Amino acid sequence: MKAELLRRPGLARLVVVVALVALWEIAARTVVDPMFMAPPSEVLISLGSVFDTGGVPAALRITFWELAVAFAISVAIGLVVGLAVGLSKFSNRSFMPIILLLYGTPQITILPLFILYFGIGPASKIAFGVSHGIFPIIVTIVAGVQNIKPILMTAARSMGASRWQLFRWVIFPHMIPSFFAGMRLGMTGVLLGVLLAELYVSTAGIGYFTTLFTQNFDPTKLLGLISILAAMAIVLNEIVRRAEVHYGRWRTD
Amino acid sequence: MSARSEQRGRWASRAVQLGFVVGLLALWYLGTTYWGISHLLLPNPVKVWHELRDVLASGDYLPDLRITLTELATAFAISCTAGVTLGYVISRSQYLIRVFEPLLAGIYSVPIILFLPLYVLFFGLGPASKIALGTTISFFPIVLNTIAGFGYVDKIFIVAARSMGASDVQMFRHVLLPAAFPVILTGLRIGFTVALLSILGSETIASLAGLGHRIVHLAEAMETERMFAYIAFVVAIAVVLNSLTSGLERRAKRQ
Amino acid sequence: MSSATDVAVRVEGVSHSFGEPGDAQHVRALLDTSLKVKRGELLCLIGPSGCGKSTLLNVIGGLLIPTTGTVEVGHTPVRGPLPRHIAFVFQENALFPWCTVMENVKLGMVFQGVPRAEQEPRARKALEAVGLAEFMGHYPAQLSGGMRQRAALARALSLETGILLMDEPFGALDEQTRMILGEDLSVLLSRTEKTIVFVTHSLGEAVFLADRVAVFSARPGTIKEIIDIDEPHPRNPDFVTTEKFAKLRNRLYGLLHEEIRKAVSQSAVVGPQS
Repeated sequence: MKAELLRRPGLARLVVVVALVALWEIAARTVVDPMFMAPPSEVLISLGSVFDTGGVPAALRITFWELAVAFAISVAIGLVVGLAVGLSKFSNRSFMPIILLLYGTPQITILPLFILYFGIGPASKIAFGVSHGIFPIIVTIVAGVQNIKPILMTAARSMGASRWQLFRWVIFPHMIPSFFAGMRLGMTGVLLGVLLAELYVSTAGIGYFTTLFTQNFDPTKLLGLISILAAMAIVLNEIVRRAEVHYGRWRTD
Repeated sequence: MSARSEQRGRWASRAVQLGFVVGLLALWYLGTTYWGISHLLLPNPVKVWHELRDVLASGDYLPDLRITLTELATAFAISCTAGVTLGYVISRSQYLIRVFEPLLAGIYSVPIILFLPLYVLFFGLGPASKIALGTTISFFPIVLNTIAGFGYVDKIFIVAARSMGASDVQMFRHVLLPAAFPVILTGLRIGFTVALLSILGSETIASLAGLGHRIVHLAEAMETERMFAYIAFVVAIAVVLNSLTSGLERRAKRQ
Repeated sequence: MSSATDVAVRVEGVSHSFGEPGDAQHVRALLDTSLKVKRGELLCLIGPSGCGKSTLLNVIGGLLIPTTGTVEVGHTPVRGPLPRHIAFVFQENALFPWCTVMENVKLGMVFQGVPRAEQEPRARKALEAVGLAEFMGHYPAQLSGGMRQRAALARALSLETGILLMDEPFGALDEQTRMILGEDLSVLLSRTEKTIVFVTHSLGEAVFLADRVAVFSARPGTIKEIIDIDEPHPRNPDFVTTEKFAKLRNRLYGLLHEEIRKAVSQSAVVGPQS
């Protein structure tokens, strides 16, 4: 058995996960007060009741929709701004410092402002998500455009490429792996922004239910809800990650 | 491009940046003073400035700042110790790295902020839940960078040191530690930044005190002038802390 | 007899400096260089590092406008790239990494403006000529350095230009690959009628490939002397073992050695290469 584990780290990883879950199960059933923690078996069984709780499926659906819309908008804005800033040396020098400054500020401080301006509905969640998602996309696209080896541009020019041809056949394809890397980071940002906003608003959406389950000391349902959201996040992240692996194929660096 | 036109280009860019900032400030001022934007949505910059001076002068920010910084320091201390220790232990064997690194990276890819309600349930609305979340989130970049730092030291250095008769302790002190140091330091900086952001975030979402909570409280009380002042204050604190940690990282790396 | 049609490229009084006088990076790369490249010949430019040979190549190809002097290709003054007349092969890997070998070759023709229908057959022909027919669908990252340069050469050949400019194309490759590629290049060129200007550091390569070798002085570079190499193409691989080869190579060495020493002592100066 030990030899088998030693040869296959994947298997060992599984064993570790199972061991941790088992530890959780035992601790939740014996040591910890059931008011504060629920064993995984209970959480699994009660997943159905989480969905049955009035309003939860709708809130989940809306959250997913917010994530999708925020991501789409982030990609659109990020692509346009990224290209506009990256393609011109002047724009790059003028606007990149501003963009980096905004990227580095703790946006969490203005979350209450977003709610103030956009309300407690999906609009504020989407806006906050976009606000987090556009920056990594812009920054990676600018890098992708700027990092092109000068020899490639020289070679294309020597073969008679026009400015449009340079963009369509050299700059754009070169930038695509960066674009997908940016989208992966952008998805992380969108997830963070949307979920932060959702958790903040305790009168509607997911935030209402997390607050409800917390105040009712119902760790079972709370863990269930969180697990569903975590699964959603994992799936979305995985989709973008796979896209990045697929489209970044030619990159050797 | 000749050097002179390079210089001209640089000045032009600076001018654009300055123009952008000045333009925004001008719009803000004009909008709130003459164009009738409600002060409940966007307060007058002059009033915000006065509120800021008042906050700073009166020391109104002190209790919240103390709480936030204490939470930050505690969370970072714990995640630092745990992260570096565990990271070192795991890095000792290629097998352990292959087992645990993907696991840790995988957990980190989930937005851990989701666990805040759980921590609130368990620890209550006080500082403990913020520290717990801050520790949890900042643990990962630290442990992952420590594994990377110690685990991926160029084999050639280890072989060379062994061939010269280095003991395990000597190997650690003179080869592993200096080689891993820059990577670990980066991990610590990232961990610190992330801890600050998660603590501010959890104070915003579910708290009774702290800088994040203060901003929320002011928003709910519709005291937008003071709220903006506090936002500026917190952003300034964050910028200062970030510059400090980046600066420390750079200084330490140069040695 | 020397009629205008015998001269493919006419270089007159070309000087080039980088940066403005007074700048820290001001470099006088080329000084008053004149040259006549005969149609159908392979002319080598050889000289120490920083002597301006690559600069001259870029000027001839229209990638660089010289500070003074003129270049004419046929009767056309060169003021920018002339993709229909001049094709380049660079030392650095200039293949587009996201395209396969075939796509790389075709893309060159897209830039040049070749009609869609002609691209595939021309590409195939060029790739077969360089011996890469089996690797058409490969990506550059999957090929060795030598094969990548063959692909770059195929791309240049497919443009069917009269003039080929090659800037140390084999410079990044190991000795053995260079040898093979040099022999293959000689065979290839004996079949075409292109005019080639070839920059190299290697004495042996220059003597083996060239009809004439232009030797440059150290920076600021100018042409010191032009040597004739009277040997038919395709060059026999055994040519390198002959006494004639050794004599020519020694002559080059004699001309170059003091310039190389001069260049090395100059190399504290920071500036663009060659």
